[in-house]
Amino acid sequence: MRLTLSIVYVFVGALVFALPNMTRRELLFAVPVPPDFRESPAGRHAIRMFRLIVAAAVAAGACALLLAPAGLANAMAGAMPIAISLAGVLAFWRQNRALAAAAQQYTRPREAEMTAAPERLPWYGWLAAGPFAILAAAATWLAIHWDSIPARFPVHFDVDGQANRWAARTIKGVYGPLFFGVEICAFILIMALAGWFGARRSRTRPVMLGGAVAVEYLLGFVFALIALQAPLGIPVWAIALCPVAILIPLILVMVRKMSEPWEPMDPTPNECWKADIFYYNPNDAALFVEKRDGLGFTLNFANRWCLALLLCLVLVIASAPFVLA
Amino acid sequence: MYTRLVMDQSPRIRIDPASGIPAVRQIVDSLRVLLVEGRLGPGATLPSVRRVAVELGVHFNTVAEAYRQLAAEGWLNLQHGRGAVVVPRAVPAVADGAGNEGLRDRLRGLVAQMRAEGISVESIADELRALAKVVKRS
Repeated sequence: MRLTLSIVYVFVGALVFALPNMTRRELLFAVPVPPDFRESPAGRHAIRMFRLIVAAAVAAGACALLLAPAGLANAMAGAMPIAISLAGVLAFWRQNRALAAAAQQYTRPREAEMTAAPERLPWYGWLAAGPFAILAAAATWLAIHWDSIPARFPVHFDVDGQANRWAARTIKGVYGPLFFGVEICAFILIMALAGWFGARRSRTRPVMLGGAVAVEYLLGFVFALIALQAPLGIPVWAIALCPVAILIPLILVMVRKMSEPWEPMDPTPNECWKADIFYYNPNDAALFVEKRDGLGFTLNFANRWCLALLLCLVLVIASAPFVLA
Repeated sequence: MYTRLVMDQSPRIRIDPASGIPAVRQIVDSLRVLLVEGRLGPGATLPSVRRVAVELGVHFNTVAEAYRQLAAEGWLNLQHGRGAVVVPRAVPAVADGAGNEGLRDRLRGLVAQMRAEGISVESIADELRALAKVVKRS
């Protein structure tokens, strides 16, 4: 189990490491720069420094997790993703500040089509219903095989794969992960639809919708596996590796798509970006805009619908203790 | 490099946030061009204020104000729940040449600006000839 977790964490670290390669060329560490800036000495130095910190954090964390004594292993397993995230955020922020002087304001005319034809979702938008079907199928299977579910079964495991929390064969204990999966998938679906109808038309928009649908499938699968784990005896390592197995092809496809020639960057005003992360522009009707870190879309926090979406997220998180055993 | 998502035949308006011209005026001017040229004919329904505002990156009120100005000019009918619909517009009866001075000054100012920006006299003349052909057709 330690090895599995180390693989998962190293995979996450590799994603953070590759971050500068996954963004459009006009953006480096959320700073709008000339497209050839990353080949300049300053650009190369920034990327090198960022990667150095991330690689050091990942290597140290993986070694610590693999070599930690039994008493510390669980703490290390929890601390490692936090350490990688912190190292990534700090390294990103440090290079963001270092490159701030090189920032430039992109401008270009914007166009709007003047026909009232209704905006339709692409065909794969309808695939977003699939994860709900997966969760419903898992619920049906559990209902049919209710008697074969153990009266008490493990729902949480330590870093060595030993069960350390148990649930009883009750509605909450058996169906809790599926309820929570439905909540999360519904939230992602709402975000995907809001992103589709609340963002400007661009070639990035369908890619992001496809990505959201794929993530919804990933979570649908994971929560279905968690619910079926006890009666089917699914190994915990298989559930832990499932996201990696789905994320690798997804990321490869998205990076390939993103590396295709795009239209120029969305010319959002630099002064509306707070710390180059939060977009706040009351004069922009868009609910979602292209992120400055180059990975997907972010909310326009000046839009009134933003609060409704954040409230949905809070409700999903707050419901966890009541839904999960 | 830039691939359009829709066919070029569809009528479009364009604004340049860096031009210094207020967005509402740019929207009104762009839309009026489409209306005068007949690319948006009577009966055509314009997209919602929300959709246009999102695409152009402006506030809803900016687009709503542009629609209101064009409605006041007689181009649009704004009905609650039905959106903005292009209506037939009677051309005001103005004797040839009367009241043209102001417009002529604006046109000369525009030509002067184009020359100041380095566009050749031949290119400007070509543009004006092409424009005249469009005006005659409409």
